[in-house]
Amino acid sequence: MMQVSLEKFLSYLLGIVASLALFSVILLAFGYNPLTSMEGLVSGSFGTTFLASETFFLVGPLLLAALAFLVAFKARFYNIGVEGQLYIGALFGYLAAAQLSSFPGVVAIPLTLLAGAAGGTLWLALPLFMRIKFQVNELFPTLVMNFIALDVVNWATAGPLKDPLSGNLQTRALPQSTWLPTLINNTEFNVGVIIAGVAAFAVYFVLYKTVLGYEIRASGASPRAAQSGGINVSRSVLAVGLMSGALAGLAGIVVVAGVDHVLAQNFSPGYGYQGIAVAALGSFHPLGIVIASVLYAALTIGGESLQRSAAAIPIELIYALQAITVLSVLIVQKWISDRTGRRR
Amino acid sequence: MVAYGTLVVSILATSLPLTMPILYASIGEIYAERSGVLNMGVEGVMSLSAFVSLWTTFSTGSYLYGLLAGMAVGAAMGALHSFATVRIGINQLIAGLMIYFLALYIGDFSYVIVTKTTYLHVSAISPVHIPILSGLPVVGPILFSQNVLVYASFAIAILLGLVLYRTTWGLKIRAVGENPEAADSAGINVNLVRNLCVILGATLAGLAGASLVLGYLGFYATGDTLVAGRGWIAIVVVIFARWSPYKAIVGAWLFGLGYSVAAIFIGSGLFSSLGPASGYFLLAIPYIFAIIFILVFHRGTKSPSSLTVPYKRK
Repeated sequence: MMQVSLEKFLSYLLGIVASLALFSVILLAFGYNPLTSMEGLVSGSFGTTFLASETFFLVGPLLLAALAFLVAFKARFYNIGVEGQLYIGALFGYLAAAQLSSFPGVVAIPLTLLAGAAGGTLWLALPLFMRIKFQVNELFPTLVMNFIALDVVNWATAGPLKDPLSGNLQTRALPQSTWLPTLINNTEFNVGVIIAGVAAFAVYFVLYKTVLGYEIRASGASPRAAQSGGINVSRSVLAVGLMSGALAGLAGIVVVAGVDHVLAQNFSPGYGYQGIAVAALGSFHPLGIVIASVLYAALTIGGESLQRSAAAIPIELIYALQAITVLSVLIVQKWISDRTGRRR
Repeated sequence: MVAYGTLVVSILATSLPLTMPILYASIGEIYAERSGVLNMGVEGVMSLSAFVSLWTTFSTGSYLYGLLAGMAVGAAMGALHSFATVRIGINQLIAGLMIYFLALYIGDFSYVIVTKTTYLHVSAISPVHIPILSGLPVVGPILFSQNVLVYASFAIAILLGLVLYRTTWGLKIRAVGENPEAADSAGINVNLVRNLCVILGATLAGLAGASLVLGYLGFYATGDTLVAGRGWIAIVVVIFARWSPYKAIVGAWLFGLGYSVAAIFIGSGLFSSLGPASGYFLLAIPYIFAIIFILVFHRGTKSPSSLTVPYKRK
């Protein structure tokens, strides 16, 4: 299904090995034991049912955020506003859910998710409009709107929507009928990750098995050639924009309806930005990023376990490692493909 | 309306130190982008260099060492970015974002390690009151009672504007960004110019972070609450300024003014009557500014032709 050459796969592995080597050096430099730390990362992410459930919960928002970036990236529309769209999606999802307390879950949950997707799309509408109508590069509008979204949600959760009985800046709990069902009782493992998995296959299908997907990829590969070949590039951009915003909104609402059950200030530790790293780590392929999101989630949960463990390695070091991993994979892959390309 | 008069003066006087880090960073980014390389890592580089310069000044007691250390760590991040994007040629947007994460979290990690034993803080560099001029009403406190890093930011903007438009170095940089093939056939080493411009740009981002912490705040905070979007804003200023260091002065100042309005209004409690959460809207002012800027000023903006396109000799 995926056309991955052996060479591409090996260069990918080499990139991972390079980042692990670099990471070991950094750990040694700060006086931590690299071997026990890496072991701690693995046992801390999959060692118990609870830890594994946390890891798989985290795959949900990461995978959805990565898909949101990826689908737009394929048409050369750089949506770096996933973080903001995710917050507004969560806000819309919450507002819808709060009205749905008298409905059964089969109705309430899809409507909540739909509202989340709509919120995400709405937040991308202005940058999308500016790009299509005025040819304004989307990088900066999407980025800047992240900060405005954060202020909007901060205001809502501190002001009109604040739960007066809670000391935290957060809303009242969502009605229980809108909570995403858990797959294993008393864990965080819920339907969110299934939704993300289905979304990954849907994105794969649209991009690689439909005419629209062909047009999207052609628009991204070479906008001029696509245009002269009769492809409406603006239409491709509009299509990926709508999908991207919706996926980003879903990423927000699966966290709120899946685990948090309230809309809280700063509930996202940067899923929208991490999604870009996951998309790059997955070689910008919808199925590649399924694997990358599991890897990334495992590193995060494993890192949190390490921080709690006796070694007490600050989580920030693991976040830095994630960036190092993406950089070294991209660098090693590009370096090798340039070299082998020249020989032919 | 005496109270409003002093309010306006304090808003304007505070706007200049808030302009300073944005200005340093945007001039640096202008140089990188003029040579054809986008560096989205500015925000993270500013954060890391803010920590490094604070720590250096706190340990040595020297503001100069702090500034130099901040610039050095910026240069190192620039070298990494230019290696990834110019030498190897990976996607500049992704590389820049990874540099953002890497720099931000190295800074935060080091801060967590260091503050296990000490509370890091310095007093901000004290202002230089220029004789006679600083005594003038209104203009005195606004323009002539700032610290040396504020004055330097405007001087460097003008100096680097002159270099870009009036020297052969500047001509080479612009040629490399507009038409690398032609520059190459004229005997210019395209990738060398790009490497140098990216490193210079990141060094200025380092200076931006150092100036923010040594020349204004005096402390560090984790999770990007310290630089708080100024690095991203600097990149927006580059577009507004149409890649001109001179116009960047105006652009950076307009954002400095936005931050200043937000800071002073929140501090004065003028808006507290609108509800306890109204401060969040004031915090959004600079960003709403930015969106309007992009909408209004995008016409006629043309980025350097080879921006984000790696150069490979045929």
